[in-house]
Amino acid sequence: MAKVVVDAMAMQRALTRITYEIIERNKGVDDLVILGIKTRGVYLARRIASRLQQLENVTVPVGDLDITPYRDDIEHDAQTEPEVTGANIDFSVEGKKVILVDDVLYTGRTIRAAMSAVMDLGRPKSINLAVLVDRGHRELPIRADFVGKNIPSSQRERIRVSVSEIDDRDAVEIQQA
Amino acid sequence: MAKRYLILEDGSAYAGEGFGAGATTSGEVITNLNLLGYQETITDQIYHNQIIIFAQPAIGNVGINHDSYESILPTAKGMVVRDVTNISTNRLSRLSLDEFLQQHNIPGISGIDTRHLIRKLRQGAGPMKGSIVDVADAHAFDQLNATVLTNRQVDQVATPKPYPNPDTGKNVVVIDFGLKHGILRQLSERRCNVTVLPWTASSQDVLNLDPDGVLLSTGPGSPLDLGTGVLDMIREVQAEIPLFAIGLGHELFALANGAELKALPVEYHGSSHPIRRIITNDIIYATQGQGYAVIAKSIDRDRLITTYVDLIDGTVQGLRHRDFPAFSVQFFADGAPGPHESRDLFDEFMEAMTAREG
Repeated sequence: MAKVVVDAMAMQRALTRITYEIIERNKGVDDLVILGIKTRGVYLARRIASRLQQLENVTVPVGDLDITPYRDDIEHDAQTEPEVTGANIDFSVEGKKVILVDDVLYTGRTIRAAMSAVMDLGRPKSINLAVLVDRGHRELPIRADFVGKNIPSSQRERIRVSVSEIDDRDAVEIQQA
Repeated sequence: MAKRYLILEDGSAYAGEGFGAGATTSGEVITNLNLLGYQETITDQIYHNQIIIFAQPAIGNVGINHDSYESILPTAKGMVVRDVTNISTNRLSRLSLDEFLQQHNIPGISGIDTRHLIRKLRQGAGPMKGSIVDVADAHAFDQLNATVLTNRQVDQVATPKPYPNPDTGKNVVVIDFGLKHGILRQLSERRCNVTVLPWTASSQDVLNLDPDGVLLSTGPGSPLDLGTGVLDMIREVQAEIPLFAIGLGHELFALANGAELKALPVEYHGSSHPIRRIITNDIIYATQGQGYAVIAKSIDRDRLITTYVDLIDGTVQGLRHRDFPAFSVQFFADGAPGPHESRDLFDEFMEAMTAREG
């Protein structure tokens, strides 16, 4: 049984609020770059960038990072750390304010890998993290700066994010394992 | 029904049939273009001291019901309609419009060529006074011309004392400039524990209540007549607490953040203008009622972001502060009456309060 916890309207609002919070926190959009974490994070990153474009009439560079899946619905080998397997970033992050965007924040290991990858590319001025859902159960000292919705969850549950670009609809659902 | 007249400052007189109260009243004549919601309109305090012409030709056909009060004691000065209908088929209705107006001493006049009247007012150069009278003689015009309408509208309709509207959720302080009940209903639906404060409240009064959010309400009249104390309050509060402002509250929020206002040549009351939500570039409709608008050029882009714009007249319909979770809309987000699609601004307000908790 899947239960919708964030519907399409709420997802739109969450991304809108995150966009405004990014402007608030960064005092504008100067030097901002957005990096989406594949797969769903990329689409969320693009939506945030398009909102910034609408509001400020400024094109914020968007790139994406491909990280080996560390999915909460697959039994994983506890010894395996997620790794960055590809990056599509055609701009420099040197001195930039990087916003990492992902759909679900869980253990924090994906984000750690993403941060290492960004650091390898250059020295950003700062890295912030925006997530649509924070489901808790962190295994690393990582915290999101912009959160769409906090969904306290059991580790037995599965959180599924759908985005209309590839899933034909916008929703966040909880499924009992 | 008695023959009565609507007379205007420009010397014109319109003969019609009286309904409601038999009182002689004067007020600023404005047009409401909404097709629905005459009860919400007549009870909305933004119409304090105004005589409302309804573009919708048949008024009264759903009576008066307990769900649609925007205030309990209406302070509009009159209704001008094409046809008044006293056949009510609404199951909620316990009272006819005629009875309601009699109880509240508000006169109505029907049988008026409202299309002609609205067209004429639209071409006008500014606000027009009018009266609903028994005899349209020179004396009546003298009386009308000598009438000075108050500019203390907010004082007349806003609460002088704080009162609670308890629930179990977020603590919200509503600053009352003559609020419409739709605002309280939307907050109640979201379980907000509301305290309504008079508009003269200081930032200290607000902060003492330790609210999760503050809402600046709608209200009548000119925001320029309310002095600078309220602007100081807004500036001090917005830096501390998520803030949402509607209607008159939006105009004050703009003033407090350095923008300027202009009086519209003709007040706009309707819900047919497409409004662009800039951030997502989509269109919404909302009930609007405004005599003033923020001057777009006066907006300091280092302090405010324009968030909504009216696509018909180009007026600024929404603003947001750059540094704080403080935002405002000119239109009535509570959607009473009218399109409901802007109600999720209240959800946005709720989420701004939740996000603040971290």
